[in-house]
Amino acid sequence: MSSNLDAGPAEQPQSAVERLHVAGLHAPTDAVLSVRDLHVRFNTENGVVHAVRGVDFDLLPGKTLGIVGESGSGKSVTSLAIMGLLPTTAEISGSVRLKGKELLGLTDKAMCEYRGNELAMVFQDPLSSLTPVYTVGTQIVEALTIHNPTMSKQAKEARAVELLAMVGIPSPKDRLRAFPHEFSGGMRQRVMIAIAIANNPRVLIADEPTTALDVTIQAQVLEVLHTAQEETGAAVVMITHDLGVVAGMADDIMVMYAGKPVETGAVDDIYYNPRMPYTMGLLGAVPRVDVAEKSSLIPIEGMPPNLIHTPTGCSFAPRCPLASDACLDGEPPLAPVPGSTLHHAACIKSGALGGEVDVHDVFSAPPVPVSRFDAIPRGERAVVLQLKDVRKHFPLSKGALLKRRIGTVKAVDGVTFDIREGECFSIVGESGSGKTTTLLEIMEFHKDQDGEVVIGGISNKQAADARTKAAMRRELQMVFQDPTGALDPRFTVYEVLAEPLQNAGMDKQAIKKRIMELMKLVGLQPDHVNRFPNQFSGGQRQRVGIARALAVNPKLVVLDEPVSALDVSVQAGVINLLDKLRAELGLSYLMVAHDLSVVRHISNRVAVMYLGKIVEIGEVDRVFDNPRHPYTRALLSAIPVPDPHVEQTRERIILRGDLPSPLDAPKGCNFATRCPVFAALPPAKQEKCLTLEPPLEPVAPSAAAQALAAHALPVLDQRFACFFPDGELDEDMLVVHESADHHAP
Amino acid sequence: MLRYLAKRGITYVFMIFLTTSAGYFLAVSSLKPALLEQERIPRPTPEQVANSMRLKGLDPDLSPWERYVEWLTAIVTRWDWGRSPNGAFINAEFGDRVWISTRLFLASIILTLVIGVALGVYSAARQYKFQDRVITSYSYLAYIVPAPIAYFLVQLGAININETVGERIFFVTGISTPGMEPGWAQFVDMLAHYAVPTIAITLVGWGSYQIAQRQYLLDNVNADFVRTARAKGLTRNQAISRHALRVSFIPVAQSIAFTIPAIFAGGFFAEKIFAWPGVGSWSIDAISLQDVNAATATLAYGSVIFALGAILADFATTLVDPRVRVQ
Repeated sequence: MSSNLDAGPAEQPQSAVERLHVAGLHAPTDAVLSVRDLHVRFNTENGVVHAVRGVDFDLLPGKTLGIVGESGSGKSVTSLAIMGLLPTTAEISGSVRLKGKELLGLTDKAMCEYRGNELAMVFQDPLSSLTPVYTVGTQIVEALTIHNPTMSKQAKEARAVELLAMVGIPSPKDRLRAFPHEFSGGMRQRVMIAIAIANNPRVLIADEPTTALDVTIQAQVLEVLHTAQEETGAAVVMITHDLGVVAGMADDIMVMYAGKPVETGAVDDIYYNPRMPYTMGLLGAVPRVDVAEKSSLIPIEGMPPNLIHTPTGCSFAPRCPLASDACLDGEPPLAPVPGSTLHHAACIKSGALGGEVDVHDVFSAPPVPVSRFDAIPRGERAVVLQLKDVRKHFPLSKGALLKRRIGTVKAVDGVTFDIREGECFSIVGESGSGKTTTLLEIMEFHKDQDGEVVIGGISNKQAADARTKAAMRRELQMVFQDPTGALDPRFTVYEVLAEPLQNAGMDKQAIKKRIMELMKLVGLQPDHVNRFPNQFSGGQRQRVGIARALAVNPKLVVLDEPVSALDVSVQAGVINLLDKLRAELGLSYLMVAHDLSVVRHISNRVAVMYLGKIVEIGEVDRVFDNPRHPYTRALLSAIPVPDPHVEQTRERIILRGDLPSPLDAPKGCNFATRCPVFAALPPAKQEKCLTLEPPLEPVAPSAAAQALAAHALPVLDQRFACFFPDGELDEDMLVVHESADHHAP
Repeated sequence: MLRYLAKRGITYVFMIFLTTSAGYFLAVSSLKPALLEQERIPRPTPEQVANSMRLKGLDPDLSPWERYVEWLTAIVTRWDWGRSPNGAFINAEFGDRVWISTRLFLASIILTLVIGVALGVYSAARQYKFQDRVITSYSYLAYIVPAPIAYFLVQLGAININETVGERIFFVTGISTPGMEPGWAQFVDMLAHYAVPTIAITLVGWGSYQIAQRQYLLDNVNADFVRTARAKGLTRNQAISRHALRVSFIPVAQSIAFTIPAIFAGGFFAEKIFAWPGVGSWSIDAISLQDVNAATATLAYGSVIFALGAILADFATTLVDPRVRVQ
């Protein structure tokens, strides 16, 4: 019923904006970049793909616009179209004006005057975005030379040093002569930002600038972008799929779906008052690192539409739980949400979605599954996996014929933990912290390993013959990070699932029956068993991977970054599935993940690793709500939360530099080189950190709590390795963004 | 760098020693020059043959090991690589032939590399356009057509020109006309002999470099760092020539470094067809003439050339790619 009311006025304001624009009434100083009715089409073998279908926005100086959407929603194509970097085969129409000057239709040569000068861009993958054969200095100076041919060599070099210092690269003068491969990923992204801001651009486009980086490095790079924006006063277009990343940065948000903006508005409107089911779904699909209460995530079923065919109705309708016949009748335009002039949504039902409507009412989130083990205290459950002082040291040697040992990389250095029935245990940490090596050590299961691994009662020390190993493999199975790479493209799903069963010696009939069971179990249609992996979407492939792992009824499933390759909406479905399977089948999980929000959502216990050692371990809510180790605190503070108010007010610990090379591991506490507490300690106490290695010790209940209790309090399930958990944090490493400059006008 | 070079050098000397020794044993046990002597008319007696062989250090009655020790001692102590069954000294013959091969191949290989790489860049920049299709098709054709046939075709073409003009402009075989007075006339004579083989070898040769350079450049034309360069304000062509080209040249430089020593190694077909008696044809002739020492010497020479190529390739890579460090 509301559809009739909204459809009427919908056309009016949009065309009014257009008329103003055409008539030049939009003051040229108003928007630094204004995009109108941008369309991009690609001619492909299968037909014309209409990748961007009418994007409009105005970007005001110094403001940040976040463009959010799943992969394939057209966000990157939009940014490349603005930059004029699309291949010549792309058909672009509409209008892109930079300070009132039309950019579309300019030749490559004419565009060069703007690119890198007033319009700059930072790309997603810092590892491949810099030319490997030129020094960083050469590449920065090149950006200066192109637009300032008269600048002197000394001036350019001085400016390059200044830029590197601005983006936080230590000893910038020396680093000018370094090649890109001598920098880490985060450092290279800083260099990319330095190049982008070299000529004080008016508009800076950042296309997923932190997606390829670790969380702590992501926090650093976002901080650098923030500084860069402050220094240059540039307007920023921030493209991302992560609603958390833009929550703290953006003033306005544009949500894109199927090449079209489906909801636009100020950041608060989008996060607190979404009016389009897709936006609501996206927000509900993201697990929160700061919330302990457990509710199921919102999966958005289905896949984005194929943009070869022009949608006749709302492009989101096939996936929308609220879709009705009216939704299929013409694509809804972006219309103002009642009661607001700046907030627009492309949904005929947006009027009814305001206020108190909860995401969980709109989308049918499955109920939170309850495991039969949840009621049993942890101590009484059987141990399915135990690691005792597992070490993996790699000798680092030099020389071709006669190898000399010049050092040891302690990839895993004395890791001890156990996993009980029905629980999910996660290992978190930056890349290089030894998470994956720990998994590999468990999978290796060899008696010559350093340390003991006990899987389902079988110890690696007794695993002499193949039979014991085979028995172990039935207890433990693995799900891999990249579902595409982990499935043989020439195997049908049936063959993928049958292989482990044949190995287990099952007969044909039983295998067939089991495979049908498995397909249903992971939510795939049983009649799809004869399809090949490439006929499935990413989420479905990961489901096949999970089914394969479950085929032999293992007790423990090892999950190596199970959802990091998936889009948020799909990720939610896979997480819910994992949750459900754990409860129904009484499985235990050992998960390695870098996304702490996912870890918090799915795990019972968590271990934080740093340079091969566990620095904090315990029950997930205890560790996340009351982190004791400074590294855990830093890690948690680095996770962006999809909540603008929280993001703008919370305190962040920005760690300095990257994970040190395991070769230079300090003698005492590993973390001392980057520790915010250490930096603030008086020298006398610092000495202790540098010489003694802190042991992993349980958290003692506070003295007050102890005094109140009649008898001794039970020891809490949380241990950490730090001498000064209550020490002051170094102020230089703390950042709080004032919320004032973040509110939309 | 010097230490690295010394290390590599020692490894290669060792490898060359192994291949040459193995080659000598193979040659000495399978090549029997004495049998060939038997076919002379008037037929010499076996004693005469054995005697003449013994005088040239090719005693057929000694065991292969004894002959190997003798041969190796001569090389190590006097740098004497022995004699051929016809009495010629390997050392003397070798110098002449290397010089002939080098003269035959020097210009053509340099032209091959320069033209091949240049056309590769040119065609990559015009991918799928008319010029690219013509050039690349030609390269594949040159790749497919056996070298001797191509050489013959070029010879035929030269003869045709001669006939059309009615005067002998090009010589299609031979190194020089004997009995020429030194000076201008001799220089013109040299060019007339030189032109046909050089053109023939170049025309056949540059195809593979063109294909490789085109392919490597195309791999990099759409690389992320080229997009970055364009985002800085370079045009597409500038970004390609300043950024993609250098990166795409890394693998090509390596293969070029490998090719350069081959200039001195000669080639069998070219030498035979154009009648330039160089190392290439010698190595094959040595086998048919049952010449143990010449066969081993050419083998040793080939190994040295290969080792030089490998070291040069390492050099070239470190030169163009800063990511490679010599340790």
